[in-house]
Amino acid sequence: MKEKIKVIICTGTHCFVMGGSDLLLLEENLPEHLKENIMIEGNSCLGYCEDRSKGKAPFVEIDGYLLDQATIPKILNYIEELTNRTDR
Amino acid sequence: MTNHKPFVEIDYTQINKKNQLVCGDAFLSKKIKSDKRVISVLSDGLGSGVKANVLSGMTATMALNYMVHNYDLKKTARAIMQTLPVCSVRKISYATFTIVDVDHNGFVNLIEYGNPVALIIRNGKRIVPDRHQYELNKMDQLHDKMYYSQFQAELHDRIILMSDGITQSGLGPKLYPFGWGDENVSNYVCDIVAKNPSVSARYLSKLICDKALENDNKTPYDDTSCGVISFREPRETLLISGPPIYRENDAAMADAFRSFKGKKIICGGTTANIIARETNEKIKVDLQNYDKDIPTTSIMNGVDLITEGSITLGKVLQLLEDGTNPETLPRHGAALLIDHLLNSDKIHFLIGTKINEAHQDPNVPVELEIRRSLVKQIIRLLEDKYLKETELKFI
Repeated sequence: MKEKIKVIICTGTHCFVMGGSDLLLLEENLPEHLKENIMIEGNSCLGYCEDRSKGKAPFVEIDGYLLDQATIPKILNYIEELTNRTDR
Repeated sequence: MTNHKPFVEIDYTQINKKNQLVCGDAFLSKKIKSDKRVISVLSDGLGSGVKANVLSGMTATMALNYMVHNYDLKKTARAIMQTLPVCSVRKISYATFTIVDVDHNGFVNLIEYGNPVALIIRNGKRIVPDRHQYELNKMDQLHDKMYYSQFQAELHDRIILMSDGITQSGLGPKLYPFGWGDENVSNYVCDIVAKNPSVSARYLSKLICDKALENDNKTPYDDTSCGVISFREPRETLLISGPPIYRENDAAMADAFRSFKGKKIICGGTTANIIARETNEKIKVDLQNYDKDIPTTSIMNGVDLITEGSITLGKVLQLLEDGTNPETLPRHGAALLIDHLLNSDKIHFLIGTKINEAHQDPNVPVELEIRRSLVKQIIRLLEDKYLKETELKFI
């Protein structure tokens, strides 16, 4: 069985106002073929907003990879990329 | 039972007469901090709509202020009657009032003029203290008698104030030939209290108004108001928000949180993370609770509510200011937080003063107020408008 890809969405204040509120609709926007493979979680604050070197909010972690200025298309792109990698 | 003096919890519910934008009844309360005294007034203005609203509002305001200054009762009644504008149709100036004045020992003075009799419920039964009658002669009013009674309130007592929209609901041959009536209301309240001994003043007043509305097939034929004054053990809540200014204070904040006996609320993601880290607990964000304007809430063992910080507190401030009934709101973090605050009697605020610099970024599309100032404004409203006791500490 394939291991699920874990997407962690930051729901802290800064991420929320910088567009993170839209990311919580990710599940509704998942294409059919990905639905079974993705696990979505929220995090009360990932803390990256306090470190400018990490990029700009909103932040999402996908299997440990930090995605900044996240949007739903950007998240989906990265997930597709991951799933296309041979070993997944 | 604890050694605490009973906390006096006051709340009310109103339903406007059909087709009216405003309620013709007024319910006002004032807590006088220096004397630890609480006064509530229910007034029903002649007629309905704006005219009645003005009459009852003036009456309640005057009665409240005269009481605060310990003015003579008869003179108070007379002053009110002489000040109210005269109705062009009925050629009288008229508004009823019931005043409840509770001193720091829970001793109650009850003054009633023209409203349905106030109900006093103790140990699941109605009690009726001696009523002294005052004649209000030569005033040409609909009612010429004012009643005065006194009693010592006990823990778990409840006083129910009603406008006649409650007691006259269901009036008609089918249901109640003379309206629902104070005996029936009293039995209804005793049933509720028997089933739910800790029912809040707010919820009890709502249940009574709902039942009155049901008696009239959901069409309010009169302005309908119910105020409840409840003597209960104080319900205490601790709200923590914001990381401490110095990291070495994290443990102190967590200790205060852990050892608190009462409801516990955390507002803020970083704050929640600190408590989770210090108490070895895990946070789970509740993604089912999606709202586009208010961030989701989270769940952690031993915590009654976890919300996001600044946006949620900002919304709470706005909703408290507007006096929005939280039951009309979607169940987002701000509504849940208001539920907790309004169901508490004493709220301890422990506020970390560290500022998240990212919030000060000019590119942030909404204005995020500094937590300290937000909390101070919320506290002012909770004390003045919602009669709560509060305590504020910064860390």
